[in-house]
Amino acid sequence: MAIITKNTLEGQEFSGSLKTVTEERVYAFSGGFPQDPGFPKKNIHTDLEFAMSCSLPTRAASGAMFEGYLAELMIDLFGESWLSGGKMSLTFTAIVDPGDALIPKAIVQSKQVEESGLKFIMQVWCENQRGEKVVVGTAKGSLKNNTSPK
Amino acid sequence: MTERKRADKVGVGEEFEPYEYRVTPEFHQQYLGAEEDHHPRYLSESNLGWPIVHPGLLINHSNVTRSPSFYLPIGMAAVHAKEEVEFLSPGRVGKTFRVSWKVIDVYEKRGRSYQVKEALISDEDGVEILRRRITDTYISGGK
Repeated sequence: MAIITKNTLEGQEFSGSLKTVTEERVYAFSGGFPQDPGFPKKNIHTDLEFAMSCSLPTRAASGAMFEGYLAELMIDLFGESWLSGGKMSLTFTAIVDPGDALIPKAIVQSKQVEESGLKFIMQVWCENQRGEKVVVGTAKGSLKNNTSPK
Repeated sequence: MTERKRADKVGVGEEFEPYEYRVTPEFHQQYLGAEEDHHPRYLSESNLGWPIVHPGLLINHSNVTRSPSFYLPIGMAAVHAKEEVEFLSPGRVGKTFRVSWKVIDVYEKRGRSYQVKEALISDEDGVEILRRRITDTYISGGK
């Protein structure tokens, strides 16, 4: 069931679930398959030495991981139909280190009546435990006419 | 398999070798754990009547580092800078997905080089699942 309705107001803010980016979750996301020899694979996400050899100050969790958090929030807001036409435009602004905790957030920037229904433009971001935004951007979703949100 | 070219040297109009993978329930479960998202839509039945693939998995497995032709020397890495993503259809757990990438722009900004790629993810039935415009920068121990 979608949370956004035709009565949702511009400026209304929504938060998703708190996500804790543990080392184990980073390994599961970016380290390959646990049954493979050498798991987790060494890369900038999983291995401090590897990350520092590439001039990063620390390991950096994959942006795809928290892009997934924002997609989850959009699906919660618009329903599963968001996976058929939803869009996001994002800029990654800070490193997420294993151990950080993130919350995906969204605020209704505008809503427009279109022939097919109501189109919402959302400002979206994830912020860490220090209140720093690690990814920022916009997302688009819509409520179609004559259909119940799924 | 095509000859591997250093990823940051792949230029406008060139493509990375496509990548195919199957989302088994076990593989999917690994990603649901990583994303801390165990919504029933991913596990049993969505409104479509089947479990859908978590978008985080689809995004991660369409990063260009998944391409069999992706190559960087030790001490270099691709870092995700920007992203435009369009969700076209839900992916179905159990299906095989194919990802293709084409470089559409390269530019420099503040002394750092950027590469923009268009990625398209389709399933084994030819259904288009996801379209991405990915901007990566390349970093190395030298800078």
